[in-house]
Parts: sequence; structure tokens; C-alpha cells
Amino acid sequence: MIMENSNDNQEPPAAEVTSTITVDDVDVDFLPIIFDIVRGLERESTDASQKPPGGSQDISQKLIELHKKLELARDQIKRLPGVEYSQEQQIEKLEGLRKQLRLKRELLLKYRTMCSFDIPKI
Amino acid sequence: MARSSSSISTGEQLLSIIDDITLISKEIIDNIIAMKHQKLCGPEQIQLTDLLITKDNQLKETLKVAADQAKVNKKMDLLRAEVEKLDQDIQHLQRQLKEAEQILATAIYQAKQKLQSINRSNKRPVPSEDLIKFAHRISASNAVCAPLTWQPGDPRRPYPTDLEMRLGFLGRLSHATGDMPLNGHMLQQTSQLGDMHRSGHHQEPPASQQNQFAWHPSGEIHMAVGQGSVPMDTRNHTKDNEDVEVMSSDSSSSSSSDSQ
Repeated sequence: MIMENSNDNQEPPAAEVTSTITVDDVDVDFLPIIFDIVRGLERESTDASQKPPGGSQDISQKLIELHKKLELARDQIKRLPGVEYSQEQQIEKLEGLRKQLRLKRELLLKYRTMCSFDIPKI
Repeated sequence: MARSSSSISTGEQLLSIIDDITLISKEIIDNIIAMKHQKLCGPEQIQLTDLLITKDNQLKETLKVAADQAKVNKKMDLLRAEVEKLDQDIQHLQRQLKEAEQILATAIYQAKQKLQSINRSNKRPVPSEDLIKFAHRISASNAVCAPLTWQPGDPRRPYPTDLEMRLGFLGRLSHATGDMPLNGHMLQQTSQLGDMHRSGHHQEPPASQQNQFAWHPSGEIHMAVGQGSVPMDTRNHTKDNEDVEVMSSDSSSSSSSDSQ
């Protein structure tokens, strides 16, 4: 809990670097830890009679580590840029922006090339 | 878990996959602990492991999509910045157009007024002869400029004389209210001259004033204009007196002291 609280306290500065986080920074290697936990548990069950004294403690440590890793991954995913839309929605938005840009450029061009003023010929 | 990828954002997809992985891993661990006690090894465990691997692959695939989306997002940011810049340009242009419109509207309003006055003057033209006649009438009393042949001692003045001032609107005003006289002497004169003016007759000023305010009794002043002297009739002076003196009232402050 103390660790989580300290993480919470570090949230605001982490939010400032939102733009710098990339997909490569997201740690999603959960399988090795799960494998370690499963192996530890199995070893514990098979060698119940001669289990090492710190075995269960090691497993609980791994469990905490897995939990933290999952939480960290959730937090990092929330800070990933551009994932607030699905791919299709994002493409639609991109097209929308391109269209907007084109229309605005056309409007400006229209204003610029607009014949200045018709001088009435008297 | 049925999901339509088109409506759910990639972030939500990723989070839900992580939730799934959390649940599956928890289930696997629970199963192992249960197996430890009950010595069971069901096919369920294999299914769960397969599911976990599938979810892990799914997570990695979705992360690839997210990486693509991050690139697209960069493009979108650039586009947004460009749109913002164009917006500012458009607003700037709009402001300028608004200003131009205002200036033009003012110009058109003024031009319309000018056209109206031109139309009005076209409808009721004033003959130039009348204008010249009126100008002569104004200048006949030397209220506008001194006669060309003016010499020191000449009674004709390039400004309204004291007498004329007293006959004028301001003089009558001070007489009517009866207060704030410039001095006692003037008050006395004002009352005399005011009466004289109201009677409508040219009377000879009192002898004491004749030296100061020499006035041609005939009312005829000879003006040297250009080729020769033009006789100007100022006998209707009393009638036009008010107009002339109102126009020349600017010099009223100096007239009284100069004539003394």
C-alpha cells in the first residue's frame, strides 16, 4: 500500500511526460512472472515434505511483483498517445482534420485572390 | 467477451486485455493451489494456459496497433497545429474585413449626405448675383476689412464700431438685463443708442459722441474697389444690422477699447 501511495504521489509529474511515452516503454512481459509463480507453486506441492524455508515468501514476492507490473502497465496504457480512439475512429478523425485544413486553405486562397474592389466606371 | 473493435478505443481494448490476463493468471494460481490440496490436474488448467497465451498475443497485437495509432496521432497533432494557424489567419482576415467594412460604411454614409446636399442645392439654386449683393452688403460697413484707402484718422473701421456693437445683439442683451456693464459711461450710451435703434430712425448722435463715432448721416459710403469707387447704399443698414453684427461679433472684445 505504501508503495502504491508513493506511486500515486508521483502521478502529476508522470502525466506531464505523456507525450514522450511510447508503446516500447510499456512493459507487458507478464508470462515469465506467471511462469515463475506457477513453477514455484508446483515445486512447493510436489516437494511438500522438503520445501525450502523461503519458498512461499518468494512466491508472494513474485505475486506482488506481478500485481505491480499489471498496475504499471495499466497506468502506462492510459498515458499512451492516440489510444483514446479506435483505429477506425482515428482514421476518420484524421480525414476530418485533413478536410478541415483543405477547406480553410481554400477559404484563405479565396480571400486572397478575391478581386479587390470593383471600381464603378462612370 | 464480445467486442466490436470499431467502437471501443484501443486504450480500452488494451486495458480489458490486461484485466483478462489478471483474471486468468489469478484463476491459474487458484487452480494450482486447489490442485495442491486435491491432487487434481484437469484439462481446465491447459485451457486457461492457452487462453493466457492467446491473450498475451492479443495484447502484443493491440500494442502494435497502438504504435501505429501513435504515429497517426503525431500526424494529427501536426494537422491540428496547421488548422490552428489557419484559424488565426482567417480570424485576422475577418477582423480586417470588418474594419474595412466599417470604414467603407462611414465613407458611404458621408458620400450620401454630400449627395443629398448637392441635390438640395440643385433644387434651390442661389443666383451668384444675389450672393455678390449680399457680400457687398456685408462689406459695405467695413465690418470685414478696412477700406483700401484707409488712413489713420479715417472714421471708417475694419471692424464694427462701438456704435454698431451697441446696436447689435450683444449690446441689446446687456441693456436688457441691465447688469454687468463694462463701465458706467458705456451703460449710459447703450441705453441711449438702444432707444435710438428701436425707434428705427437714424438720429444724430449726441455732440459728445460725434467725434468718437463719426457716422455719415447720409448713410452713403464710397468704397474703392478695383477700377473705381462703387457707391454703396447702406441706408438699409438698420434692417441688416443684426446679420452683419452677429457675423462680426468676434471682434467685439476689442472694439470698445479701440474706439475710446
